[in-house]
Amino acid sequence: MCDRFASKHFDEKARVLANEQMGPRLYKITLAAPKMAQAIEPGQFVHMQLTGMEAHILRRPFSVYRADREAGFIEIIYQVVGEGTSFMTSYEPGVECALIGAMGHGWQEREGKSLIVGGGVGAAPLFLFAEKLAAEGRPFEVVLGAQTESMLVTRADYAALLGRDPVLATDDGSVGHAGFCTEPVREQLATGEYATVYCCGPEPLMRAVAALADEAGVDCFVSMEKRMACGVGACLSCVVETSAGKKRSCVDGPVFDAKDVVW
Amino acid sequence: MVMALNLQVNLGGLIMPNPVTDASGTFAAGREYADFVDVSRMGAVTTKGVSLHGWEGNDSPRIAETPSGMLNSIGLQNPGVAHLCEVDLPWIKSQGVPAIVNVSGHSLEEYVQVIEALEEDGTADAYEINISCPNVDAGGLTFGTHVPSVTAVVSACREVAKRPMIVKLSPNVTDIAEIARAAEAAGADAISLINTLLGMAIDANSRRPKLARVVGGLSGPAVKPVALRMVWQCYQAVDVPILGMGGIMTGEDAVEFMLAGATAVAVGTANFTNPHAENDVLDGIIEYCERQGVEDVNELIGGLQC
Repeated sequence: MCDRFASKHFDEKARVLANEQMGPRLYKITLAAPKMAQAIEPGQFVHMQLTGMEAHILRRPFSVYRADREAGFIEIIYQVVGEGTSFMTSYEPGVECALIGAMGHGWQEREGKSLIVGGGVGAAPLFLFAEKLAAEGRPFEVVLGAQTESMLVTRADYAALLGRDPVLATDDGSVGHAGFCTEPVREQLATGEYATVYCCGPEPLMRAVAALADEAGVDCFVSMEKRMACGVGACLSCVVETSAGKKRSCVDGPVFDAKDVVW
Repeated sequence: MVMALNLQVNLGGLIMPNPVTDASGTFAAGREYADFVDVSRMGAVTTKGVSLHGWEGNDSPRIAETPSGMLNSIGLQNPGVAHLCEVDLPWIKSQGVPAIVNVSGHSLEEYVQVIEALEEDGTADAYEINISCPNVDAGGLTFGTHVPSVTAVVSACREVAKRPMIVKLSPNVTDIAEIARAAEAAGADAISLINTLLGMAIDANSRRPKLARVVGGLSGPAVKPVALRMVWQCYQAVDVPILGMGGIMTGEDAVEFMLAGATAVAVGTANFTNPHAENDVLDGIIEYCERQGVEDVNELIGGLQC
């Protein structure tokens, strides 16, 4: 078992370099954060204080989409869901935000072919991992799902890694399979090529994908997002039900073995 | 020449090297914050509430952000007193600071058994009795909101507690002074306040409560004026020292609590906003004292001029 105190957490004052709209309610913020860019592992997150929103006292956890170690920046893709993320869209280059990181246990690569499944904005926390698999020459496939084509904001970056489009699904059928991405996942698993599934997205999707993986006899890892306060494992706000009791998504996760999760 | 500043305070027999501890439940037993906080500079570490065999806690969602504050309904999830003695207390002691163990129970018996276990272990320096727990024997009624049950639980704890005993008061009462007097009369060496204020939050769009348990405890800067008022009222009502808390974010906030009558202060929700808060609040108190020419932090206690 990993020692949850093994990795050091630290602060970094990050400076906004860019903050651009990628699709409906979807934005990408680029932050100059050289220490974080060095430290972040695929699937880990940063816990960010919202500058200019002092009455909003809680930090927001954001998975890191991309990190450029040489240039010293990280990218986060966020969806506008509440007042905090709505306010974030107003951040101009130069705004400074306090980060703590690198938080949590991320994705661990395993032998054999991997199936990466990203639903909606859940595609973002898997990208660093796909990049790592590609760099190591490990075989993998990517399935992305979204409501509509314009929300598949990570499609081009994944396509650049794969050398072709990922497998796509949209609820409205505007591109790829019409419907949830569970159907393409089922088809992929039916090939029998996969050793491990890595999934991030809405909880019902992760649950469905975990069930498909289980049926196929394939291991599955999921990234659980819960409302979080401290981010360091102290407050017990973000607990996930598991077969071994309640676990903290901030330090015991966010990535969990799906067979341990009590959905 | 810079005068040496005395920061040491005596909280009902617990000697604290400085007045700053954490509010129970916001800091675990300190280790989780060790990357950000020099725990050895704290006046004490106050542990998360501990029960006899551990509790699972409540369903999720357990928190909701509210204007300048947050609601929580964690439900005192904890692994039980044996785990605390085995894992957490030795770590706190390794930092060279006093350990205040927050004691919880669902019955008089459970409080007593937790303290007995802690006395047998012998590592704790003081107890903070959380009387905001629901009393299962009384149909879930909170111990801390009625004088007779406050008297009963504090007296029962006093019989077995050989260390300084701080009683943590619930603010969800009509007359906090009456409760403070009951705790003092039943043997409290100190009182701490405020625990969280009962509140709720609703999502209008889904028409659902934001917490699984519907209601929860409000904390953060939003509660500070209420907390200051209650500390001030208690300071006038009892002779035992007060551990003041409720929305302390800065050293100046802490000084305000001391002026209202607190001997020591606890930093809670601020840890979530600023993981360095425990040290920053102490630094802020020191800076205030230097600026104001205060040589002994004890001068601040009850120093409100009105």
